[in-house]
Amino acid sequence: MSGNVTIDKVLVSILQRRLKSITEEMSIAMTRTTRSPILCEAKDFVTGLYDARGNMLEQTENLPILAFSLAPVCKYIIEYYGDDIHPGDVIFHNDVFSMGNQNNDVAVYKPIFFDGELVAWAACKGHQADIGGAVQGGYNPQATEVWQEALRIPPIKVYEKGRRRKDVWDLIFANIRLDIVEEDMRAEIGSCVVGERGMLKILERYGREVFEAHKEHLFDATESMMRQEIRTIPDGVYRGESKAYYDGQNPGSEYTIRVAITVEDGRIRFDYTGTDPQTPGFVNGTFTSSASATILTFLQMVNPDMPHNQGMIRPIEITIPEGTILNAAYPAATTYGNHLCPNNADAIMRALGPVIPDRVTAEWNELLCSLTTGKDPRKEGAPFVDIGFMGMKGGSGGIYGCDGYDHIGMIDASGGVLDQDYEMFEQQTPHRLIRHEYWCDSAGAGRWRGGLGVVTEFEIGGEAVKLVTFGDGDVEPARGAQGGKEGTLNVIRLRYPDGRWYTCTTKDMVADVPAGTLYYQEAGGGGGWGDPRERPAEKVLADVRNGVVSLERARGDYGVVIDPETWTVDEAATAELRS
Amino acid sequence: MAYKIGIDVGGTFTDFLLTRDDGSSAIYKVLSTPKDPSIATVQGIEEMARDRGLTAEQFLSEVTTIVHGTTVTTNATLTYSGARTGLLTTRGLRDALEMRRGIREEQYNNRYPNARPVIERRLRLPVDERLGAQGEVITPLDEGSVRAAVEVLRAEGVEAVAVCFMNAYANPAHEARAAELVRELLPGAFVSVSTEVVPAIRLYDRVSTTALNAYVGPVLRRYLESLTRKLADLHYRGVLLIMASNGGVIAPEVAMDRPATTLLSGPAGGPVAGLAFSRGQGYADCITCDMGGTSFDVALVKDGKPLTTTEGDINRLRISLPMLDVVTIGAGGGSIGWIDEGGLLRMGPQSAGADPGPACYGRGGTRPTCTDADLLLGYLDPAFFAGGRIPLDVDAARRAVDEHVAGPLGLDVDAAAAGMYEVINVSMAAAVREIAVNNGYDPRDFPLVTAGGAGPNHACQIALELGIPVILVPRESSIFCAAGMLRSDLKHDFVRTYPTRLDGIDPDRFRALCREMRDQGLALLADEGIPADRVTVGLTLDLRYLRQYHEVGIEVSWDEAEACDPAAIAAKFHPQHDALYGYSLEDKGTPVELMNIRLTAIGRTDKPSLVPEPRAGEDPSPARKGVRRAYLPGERAFADVVVYDGMALRHGNRFDGPAVIEQVNTTTFVTPEFSVVVDPYGTYTLYRKEREDEILGRVLG
Repeated sequence: MSGNVTIDKVLVSILQRRLKSITEEMSIAMTRTTRSPILCEAKDFVTGLYDARGNMLEQTENLPILAFSLAPVCKYIIEYYGDDIHPGDVIFHNDVFSMGNQNNDVAVYKPIFFDGELVAWAACKGHQADIGGAVQGGYNPQATEVWQEALRIPPIKVYEKGRRRKDVWDLIFANIRLDIVEEDMRAEIGSCVVGERGMLKILERYGREVFEAHKEHLFDATESMMRQEIRTIPDGVYRGESKAYYDGQNPGSEYTIRVAITVEDGRIRFDYTGTDPQTPGFVNGTFTSSASATILTFLQMVNPDMPHNQGMIRPIEITIPEGTILNAAYPAATTYGNHLCPNNADAIMRALGPVIPDRVTAEWNELLCSLTTGKDPRKEGAPFVDIGFMGMKGGSGGIYGCDGYDHIGMIDASGGVLDQDYEMFEQQTPHRLIRHEYWCDSAGAGRWRGGLGVVTEFEIGGEAVKLVTFGDGDVEPARGAQGGKEGTLNVIRLRYPDGRWYTCTTKDMVADVPAGTLYYQEAGGGGGWGDPRERPAEKVLADVRNGVVSLERARGDYGVVIDPETWTVDEAATAELRS
Repeated sequence: MAYKIGIDVGGTFTDFLLTRDDGSSAIYKVLSTPKDPSIATVQGIEEMARDRGLTAEQFLSEVTTIVHGTTVTTNATLTYSGARTGLLTTRGLRDALEMRRGIREEQYNNRYPNARPVIERRLRLPVDERLGAQGEVITPLDEGSVRAAVEVLRAEGVEAVAVCFMNAYANPAHEARAAELVRELLPGAFVSVSTEVVPAIRLYDRVSTTALNAYVGPVLRRYLESLTRKLADLHYRGVLLIMASNGGVIAPEVAMDRPATTLLSGPAGGPVAGLAFSRGQGYADCITCDMGGTSFDVALVKDGKPLTTTEGDINRLRISLPMLDVVTIGAGGGSIGWIDEGGLLRMGPQSAGADPGPACYGRGGTRPTCTDADLLLGYLDPAFFAGGRIPLDVDAARRAVDEHVAGPLGLDVDAAAAGMYEVINVSMAAAVREIAVNNGYDPRDFPLVTAGGAGPNHACQIALELGIPVILVPRESSIFCAAGMLRSDLKHDFVRTYPTRLDGIDPDRFRALCREMRDQGLALLADEGIPADRVTVGLTLDLRYLRQYHEVGIEVSWDEAEACDPAAIAAKFHPQHDALYGYSLEDKGTPVELMNIRLTAIGRTDKPSLVPEPRAGEDPSPARKGVRRAYLPGERAFADVVVYDGMALRHGNRFDGPAVIEQVNTTTFVTPEFSVVVDPYGTYTLYRKEREDEILGRVLG
């Protein structure tokens, strides 16, 4: 179709910028209209545009772990409906056995027609506060199969030819606990309408033929940019391994992720053959959650200033055998799967770190998160749900030329998910915050140190409070790189009003937590990069004066001797220690 | 004869607009003096005096008002050269300021560093005290812990102290007492108290704003003292007012009290100017865009009021004061064109600035900029840039574009320059679209008021990109913000947080909060010499559906506030939510919650009058300067284009594009899609043919 169109290279740039700005508009619409804090505060959603075949045109990736399942699902939907796709259709999807990444991440797809032809798709996917299943919020460590976790939505049309299918709509929302989910799904549809309007403007202006030809050229240009980035990695096969700890069912269980990365002629292949079998519980990845984890980790090793479209993905090939912990077979439970991203990222960083040391961070703190539900006596017993974003944000790994990022949280989001505001937290939950501070000596020492971890304490309030935890990082800390030191571990503990302490497991469900219980969480620091004795002494001094590195560690890890009376570096003693 | 002066200190030039009470005006531009910006201010005043054959003292004795916009606080923050500042805050939470809720703005960039706070950790000291979410005292303020902390700050030599406690928005007592102790123990220190600066819920927003306020306080005080001293030395006895970021003006004493209100006030004069020029044609709405050397600022005016936001940022640090909602992107005359690794053409955000400047300035710049492209496309006259003061080197521009853009893309130089022009226009159009769409408006419904040295050259393409049918280019577009300052009212914002469901509201408490803010506003304006009969008060309630996180600001009248009828207030909220977000929950009966009450007290100032010019004929030929080759983007070809002398165009003159209109400090390029008519105030009105009848009606009456 593009045979007789002359490519206008400038138009290619303009098209890319326009597509990006449409997906940003879609994202704004979501932020402003949704009600669940997971969406409107934490921005746990992605918006995107896809061509008629489901190829990614552009995306706004607030939470990258969701981002790279949208195009595969779009392709699946196109195949599923065949010629039964019409103007005015709106399709829901969350099914993890047809390319969905997580049950709670529910997507909306809207086909875009121009001159009677299907030309593109607008899509939005957000983490919904509830999607049915045995446990409110979806995180159910006891689940062993998908039906205990969620309502499965293989693609279903909720609007057909512009008419809402009331029966279908009501069936879905009759199986979901919270009424805000219905509103938030309306917001996702609204976001797709915004995307559709933007796409139509482009098509009206340039026509289909010019659009298609320039789109292909954009894909090619982006692919060549990505291939050029990959070519800076020496050809070869690189292997890495990492462990995921505790499947939520068998204490002490361990699972190994194994990746072989082949770099050849500007292409890169990630092959997870040899990864351990899936777990009996919900600690299982899906193909797209693991593929997203792979892509987002790799994107952090290349030029960050690259358009996000199908061309970017083309040189990347991913193989994940079914039946493994990264791609569990039907009908496994998988809600935890997104959170295998940190473990998965470690395997990739361990494989490539030695090859391109200046482009790979030391390891990041792994996620450990909690969720509390209960009733708020201040609001006549109204239910509350709180995902503990505030407590979970540890540090990222240091990298050549830059310290790790403090209090950033899981690599799946890479700083895209925000804490609740402190005062809003006390309005929305009956808990009272006591402490939320940088954790001294949590960051792995290094020439560029890891990002700082955080200590959080709050007093639990309310009635019928239940606590769920999910995560990892209590066994193995974030490792350092190139001589840098490791970060600290994660832990969540409860001190009951009678003074008794309980240390939560990383996949726990604790019922009937009484008001007055102290919640204590340490989110660990990231690993350091490079020999800490090469860190400029004045930077170490600044960290010590700011109370994020102790005098002892300054001396022990960094070889810097500081006089706390005068706050000066003892140059002679330091030189001796460092020699 | 009485004069007023608007003075806008920019990065390169300090702009002056001098108006006389007979409606006449004059424009001055003086090179800025960044080390002490008041020097350029005085130089400009001296130049104005000289032109009138007066001494500066004689001239200033005829000046009644000086309105001054300053970027000293903005620059101090951008360069981290503010005061040494300490923070007293609730124990356990001292890192809220630095953590910024854990955001990393560039998710895929592992070399994106932590944002640097304006108060380092060792100067953020915990105090023992705690208030509950309803303002109840859980732990009383331990004055000993305050004294101990202040001793540490004294030893560290701090000049400013911020005080911000958890939940203080619900009970300011602890902060007030702690501030009293600080003032007693550290006399002379600048003290910034969160409940005085921004007494609203959201601790991070409040602590960040309070810290910034403290950080720039001593800087602004020193600057304004220097300026007022210089003016006093010249026996100036008129009024001095300072531009604030909310689009209002304030007395210097008020600015020194709340210095954060001047942060990001640089572009704040723009929307008021845009409104003044568009109102003459009967518009109550407009979008203003101002394209300077390095940045492009866009704002939107709706129903006669510029849009405001309470979510501003500077250097990735939150300022939660009401300020004009200005979208700024790195696009300007100095923006550099480059080719990325994928072979795509990009423009900016890197800028050649004023030094070395665009290649065509011939000051050593070798990278191709937007101005170079504009020159090659024929929009600029190499002999008449800045009225001829800066001769432009066409060959240098050609070489730069050839080497860095045309060569790598395999294009000829003209096509490359056209590409640069188009790419930057699309970015600017995206910024215009963003501010409209973010606020639920369609940009096509607004006239685009265009300003800045480079703006009018690009306006037509931005408008075409968005389908905007009308563009206004005021004669004063090159000193747009200075023009806006002279037309701004005194404006003070207040906020109180009162979280409650509307159906459970306590009317007495609600009214008391409204009255308290109104009385504060009246008192402040009285101090600034504004009598009560020139004061108007506006009330906005931040409302949301139960359990939503983001609020919608709903304006209510004073009478409606006094009535405090929950049903009537909710009835105003539902349709607004629907208009903004496409749905309302009125039918579901979802309760509505109040979070904040905001009050704005406005003291009306006397504005310089715009005196209409008598209507001349349609024929523009007396203003015709000649013809030159210029590039027509729609046709993708060069053509002969008529050039007009902007200052010679008269009210009623009409012509069709393509055309170039030249003034000393700005050039307007009219594409063939637009026609032009000059309005009674000299504003060039560019319009699409299909709107001709309406536009001629507005402009010619």
